[in-house]
Amino acid sequence: MRSSWLRPPRRYAAAVLVSALALTTVAACGTSSSGGGDNSGGGGSADASTPLDPKTKVTLTIDCMPPATKKPELKEWNEDVAAFNKKYPNVTIQGRSTPGQCEEPARFTAAIKAHSQPDVFYTYFTDLQQVLDNNGAEDISAYVTDKTVPALGDIDPNVLGVLKQDGKLYGLPTSNYRMGLLINRKLFTQAGLDPNNPPTTWDEVRTDAKAIAKLGNGIAGYGDYSAANTGGWHFTAAMYGLGGDVVSSDGTKAAFNDDLGKQIVDNLHAMRWDDNSMGQTQLLKWGDLQKQMATDKLGMFLAAPDDITYMVQQLNAKYENFGMGPIPGGKATLFGGNDYMIKKGSSPDKIKAAIAWLNFETLTPGKGTFDYSRRKADGLPVGLPQPAFLTGASKTKDDELKAASATMPVENFKVFMDNPVPGKSEPPKAQEIYKVLDNVMSGVLTNKNADPGKLLSDAEKQVNQVLANG
Amino acid sequence: MTTRTLISPAQLGRTRGKVVYWTVFAVVIAVFTLVFLGPLYWMATGGLKSAQEFVQAPPTSFPKSLHPGNYSQAWRVMDLSHLLLNTLWYAFGALAFQLVFDVAAAYSLSRLRPVFGKLILGMMLATLMIPATVLVVPQYITVLDVPLFHRNLLNSPWVIWLPSVTNAFNIFLLKRFFDSIPGELLDAAAMDGASRLRTLWSVVLPISRPILGVVSIFAVVGVWKDFLWPMLTLPDPGKQTLNVGIYSLASGVPENWLVAALGIASLPTLLIFLLFQRNIMGGLTAGGLKG
Amino acid sequence: MSAPTLATNEAQQRPGQLGSSRAKNSREGFARALRRNLSAHAFLIGAVLCFAFFSWFPMVREFILAFQKTKGGQTTWAGWSNLTYIFNDPAFWQAWRNTLLFTGLALVFGFAVPFLVAVTLNEFRHGQGYLRMLVYLPVMLPPVASVLLFKYFYDPGYGLFNRVLQILHLPQQQWLQDTHTAMLSVVIAATWMNMGGATLIYLAALQGIPGELYEAAELDGAGLLRKIWHVTIPQTRLILSLMLLMQIIATMQVFTEPFLLTGGEGPEGSTTTVVYLIYQYAFYFNNYGSAAALGLVLLVLLAGFSAAYVRLSRSSED
Repeated sequence: MRSSWLRPPRRYAAAVLVSALALTTVAACGTSSSGGGDNSGGGGSADASTPLDPKTKVTLTIDCMPPATKKPELKEWNEDVAAFNKKYPNVTIQGRSTPGQCEEPARFTAAIKAHSQPDVFYTYFTDLQQVLDNNGAEDISAYVTDKTVPALGDIDPNVLGVLKQDGKLYGLPTSNYRMGLLINRKLFTQAGLDPNNPPTTWDEVRTDAKAIAKLGNGIAGYGDYSAANTGGWHFTAAMYGLGGDVVSSDGTKAAFNDDLGKQIVDNLHAMRWDDNSMGQTQLLKWGDLQKQMATDKLGMFLAAPDDITYMVQQLNAKYENFGMGPIPGGKATLFGGNDYMIKKGSSPDKIKAAIAWLNFETLTPGKGTFDYSRRKADGLPVGLPQPAFLTGASKTKDDELKAASATMPVENFKVFMDNPVPGKSEPPKAQEIYKVLDNVMSGVLTNKNADPGKLLSDAEKQVNQVLANG
Repeated sequence: MTTRTLISPAQLGRTRGKVVYWTVFAVVIAVFTLVFLGPLYWMATGGLKSAQEFVQAPPTSFPKSLHPGNYSQAWRVMDLSHLLLNTLWYAFGALAFQLVFDVAAAYSLSRLRPVFGKLILGMMLATLMIPATVLVVPQYITVLDVPLFHRNLLNSPWVIWLPSVTNAFNIFLLKRFFDSIPGELLDAAAMDGASRLRTLWSVVLPISRPILGVVSIFAVVGVWKDFLWPMLTLPDPGKQTLNVGIYSLASGVPENWLVAALGIASLPTLLIFLLFQRNIMGGLTAGGLKG
Repeated sequence: MSAPTLATNEAQQRPGQLGSSRAKNSREGFARALRRNLSAHAFLIGAVLCFAFFSWFPMVREFILAFQKTKGGQTTWAGWSNLTYIFNDPAFWQAWRNTLLFTGLALVFGFAVPFLVAVTLNEFRHGQGYLRMLVYLPVMLPPVASVLLFKYFYDPGYGLFNRVLQILHLPQQQWLQDTHTAMLSVVIAATWMNMGGATLIYLAALQGIPGELYEAAELDGAGLLRKIWHVTIPQTRLILSLMLLMQIIATMQVFTEPFLLTGGEGPEGSTTTVVYLIYQYAFYFNNYGSAAALGLVLLVLLAGFSAAYVRLSRSSED
């Protein structure tokens, strides 16, 4: 019965209004501070940029607390909350856990529409436009300074750029990834391939996949998604790898119906139907390939490095089993990640508390999620090339700490690390375009007689419509 | 059960008739057992397999090694007890609201004949022709900000309970049953000076037990089986129903745990069904037809 | 309280109920009528409010939303643009084809199979209770459990169905992954899950058929099929036609089964249903206007269909 039904509607309306007014005046001078350390200015701006007063009483709801399925991470989260409360005893952190992925696009869209997201909510880098369309996030430019976030100057400006619009900052990154080719080392060895030399072109992928599929026993060489937007996401990653694009540079037209797009589709078709090296089960979505690989039924798929963590923790796999190479083609790689934003209408104190927490948990080398010695002690993998948004001194420090506690053979990622591929961010209206491109993937993977040209041109028409619809 | 059916008793009495009858009977029993119990067997044993064995082709008919731990893992990791309690809370709350509001409405429409009663009944029945899912978008936007009250019902049980009252089929069943109650009974109660509420409570409801049973089953099963609506309106993982909770967890656990979870989730209603089989099915057929 | 409120049973069942009550109203006097109405409406109010908020108002709102657009927090009138958007979307026509295919297949399976099962079960002198229980068992499972079970069965690699085909030396199928069999696979799963209810209703109807009719037909020399055609079906026609209507309305709004089995779209969009498309517009594309426009189209078609159906079945009764 303590439901929202009985709660007064907008208790904080006045506070919101005041803070919004304060913000608009502050925003102009506040944004420049993201680069250097300039946070001068009196009155309101000093107010916004001062760190949280430990005496302030605030309750924060936060997305993406590790679920019970991730036992060690949940334990660490709880420890971190306790440590954070030592410094800020009056901040109550209420984590909300989500099983599986922290964000599932449909649920997220609904939540943003309903303004039912938590105070501090998890988003993908691609979500900013949608969040702003629904008036969902606070401009935090004035609050984020190198006082509140000491590592600010070392955060990759490209990453921060994704979280900005019109010079205003709306989120703080927690992780980012560059996609590569994840391999099952055990199957590579069994198939007589060199696990330290993952394939780097699609031709090599095809050859190796064929060799792995020869092992029989329902083992597939290469796998790919074709449902729940993840098919389109991987198609985009493959396009980037070959140097192609999905949307024209001005963002108005589809750009995948060309030779490169056709090359990808043809290659998938050949692997699926001529070589029969992609397994029979299709219409897979995020989570499915990981299950296959964790049970040693799959040799390779395109992935972000943290898929390994997922397989180790939730699917009981062993991390020695996996390795990574750069994305086939190697021209560019899809770069994405996730961040936290702060719900529109939060009081300045809430925003400050949120930033203090985010700084503590996800932006300080050696602390929170970067506390590698603890991660090692808890049996979590250390040594993954992810997240990768820190630069400069913070990166050096982070790398040192990582190396000191590495739990996995770092050489398994050597090829991935030694061949850095330039990152390329996701297209505008990414989720909608991915949805359309799912059909291209499901078409080629489930229909032997699919016409690649028609799949691509149909998708092109739909994507053009999506883009034209503003 | 001794009524005359399609095949004449004389035909069945002949040797050939008997042979055909018993053959068909045996085949039907075997096929139905396989078709309807087979999947349950597969589910129960699938939950005992190792992750590797589970995805093995061809599938094994009995687990090579038993892993009963899958069940306890699924129970713990997927927090099934929580999901189960949520679902029961929503289902029985919806039942309570429907019993109060729908019974009162049906009683009023059947016996009290308010002005516009026919119109209201017609408008209610019209919603039967327009299934709920068609209205999912405007309904969703409505619960985000209920007009006049300006409350956001998301993540609260009200979002399940209140819309569940708009069950025109139940109102229809109830009204038809109330229509068939002899007027003399009610007249007698009125003569004794009983108020309408009292008449409803102590005369109408006691003789309406069969139909109340049917309506209750429909109400509970309706919430139990619903998927799209709770998925949209209860996004908070701590408040999800069993169906939605399992769906959103499905990609996050190994397949053998997931199947174990499906088995656990199926158990409560299966047990209730097996225990009260006779009442439930008797009530359903009687209510569906004669209500 | 007062005798007139408790109308006799005969009056209740007469069709001209409103007329007769009006006649009584004039007799009972205004104050009494008011009091009677007040309490009658007091009984109604809970349900009426729920209908108003969660059913009638959303219906009106569907019309409004279909002509609106929301951008950057601003809602404006959009004219016909939402409708032109959906009519220009290739997925729109595909979704209709798929939904009609589902409805058609569901009529063959979901309508005919339970009827045949009921006719067969009704002949058995033994084990009927057991068989009824079996048929109804899946209805009691949480739909997610049934659907995910079928998803495993349909898996072309380790799935049970291909194993069975293999044992029978039949060609293996791609089931959900083939544009030609995906919808059929969805229908088979849906039939397994839901046929129990319909079967029980048919069984009850069959048991109401007077045995003399069969005897009379036999005297005329009718065989098994002719008895079914001339006695069983006409005798259960009312229930059959009602169930047909319910079935069609239910299948037009199918969502859960394809959503869980194929993720919604299926291979090349071959299981995208109209309701799934509504869901996709609203919750993937954040385009509530087009979602409402599509809902409106479905609403109008279903309402028209139901009205026509009721009318046809009425006129055929007379």
